Amino acid sequence: MNTGNVKETLRGFVTRSINFPDLGDDDDLFESGLVNSLFAIQLMTFIEKTFSVEVDADDLDIKNFRSVSAATDFVLKKSAATT
Amino acid sequence: MTRPVPHWLDDAQQSRYAQFKEFVRANVEPFAADWERDQALSKKVLSQLAATGWLGATVPVQYGGKGWDAVTFGLLNEAFGKGSPSVTSVLTVQAMHAMPIVRWGTKEQKSKWLPPLASGERLAAIALTEPGVGSALQNFTTRYSREAGGGALRLNGVKRWITCAQIADVFLVFGKLEDQPIACIVPRESPGLTVEPIRELMGFRAAGLGQITFRDVEVPVANIVGKAGFGFSHIAPVGLHWGRISTACHALGMLRGCVEESVAYAASRRIGDQPIGEFGMIRTIIARMATDLQAATLVCMNACRSEDDHSAEAFEDAFTAKYFASRAAVAAASDAVQIKGAAGVHESSPTSMYYRSCKVTEIIEGTTQIHEDMLGKAILGRSGTLTQGGGGK
Repeated sequence: MNTGNVKETLRGFVTRSINFPDLGDDDDLFESGLVNSLFAIQLMTFIEKTFSVEVDADDLDIKNFRSVSAATDFVLKKSAATT
Repeated sequence: MTRPVPHWLDDAQQSRYAQFKEFVRANVEPFAADWERDQALSKKVLSQLAATGWLGATVPVQYGGKGWDAVTFGLLNEAFGKGSPSVTSVLTVQAMHAMPIVRWGTKEQKSKWLPPLASGERLAAIALTEPGVGSALQNFTTRYSREAGGGALRLNGVKRWITCAQIADVFLVFGKLEDQPIACIVPRESPGLTVEPIRELMGFRAAGLGQITFRDVEVPVANIVGKAGFGFSHIAPVGLHWGRISTACHALGMLRGCVEESVAYAASRRIGDQPIGEFGMIRTIIARMATDLQAATLVCMNACRSEDDHSAEAFEDAFTAKYFASRAAVAAASDAVQIKGAAGVHESSPTSMYYRSCKVTEIIEGTTQIHEDMLGKAILGRSGTLTQGGGGK
């Protein structure tokens, strides 16, 4: 699992969900107003299923999911911890 | 009479579904009208339900539950939905309380709270709605505050329209702690917690609804589920998601009941020497109801399978299922009463109970209009139609 693949996969999910192709990797998803109230938990579920990592209560920090870059860092960190 | 269950159910799912229906036929259907009239479930049925272990249908085996998949949970709610809206509501809120703990609870919380929920030793409820706030969770006025020393919180506020409040032993209570959304497990016996029954409802009359008042209720910090700040974004959606799966399948069960009642009546009731099913106008209504039943079965089972696949679309699929099945059930209940005429209006007919209760499924776990707003936004959002802030161009 490398940074580029993870980022592209996450970017694909986000842009499919909100159809915003110009989204920057560091754009704040939640402050943009682009996502609905279910998006946070949908993103988390996508991450768990796609990357086989478990998001637990200790991971509940908006910093982990705020942007495509932040979610990428989170996935890589969790993957490294479980391998 | 109606089509069999989906062919893709595996042997265990089919066998359990048959068990659920037999239990409902023997222990629920004969008494459902009495419970609705009395506005209370009998202790006997609650104890029978607890003995089955089905109150812990989706709780993992290691915590005393059945550990069943969402499809089996959906079938359970469908079977009970046909028999009694009020008994089904016990299954609904038990799951809405337990599943956020399964998903976000600490090991200690799971070990302490899940086994008694799974065994039915403790009945549970979820306290979200307030007298002035329904779906707009951000506007909640229920407040937690920190006690000096940090070991406990103080809870103040009022929750209303809480299903099973009259019989629940423990509540999952949503509020704010220093403006951060939070959910905590609060036992009924907590000093300062009082429940006032809400009676004379149109449907779900035996579901034990109530208003709960919290006055300086002490809540251990250890009872916070997940983390403060994520109550509305991550904890509530899990409970509501299971509530929507349950309610969608519950509506599906009532829809099946409407079709079965209507078909049986159309075959037996005669005008002159003809059963009324010979008349085109009756066939039209039955065709519409039966087609809705098939369609609702598919969307409900799709939602259950999405959950079993741990799909990111599972949440939206549950919205779709609840939206479709509840509206189809309301239409079918109206048609079923129309076909049975005066006989369908009388309390002795299940159609009168369906007529009163199907409408409630359009209200609970988010109204039909909230579902339309959410689904509409999601669909338009994917098409790029919506601008920032969710408004239309």
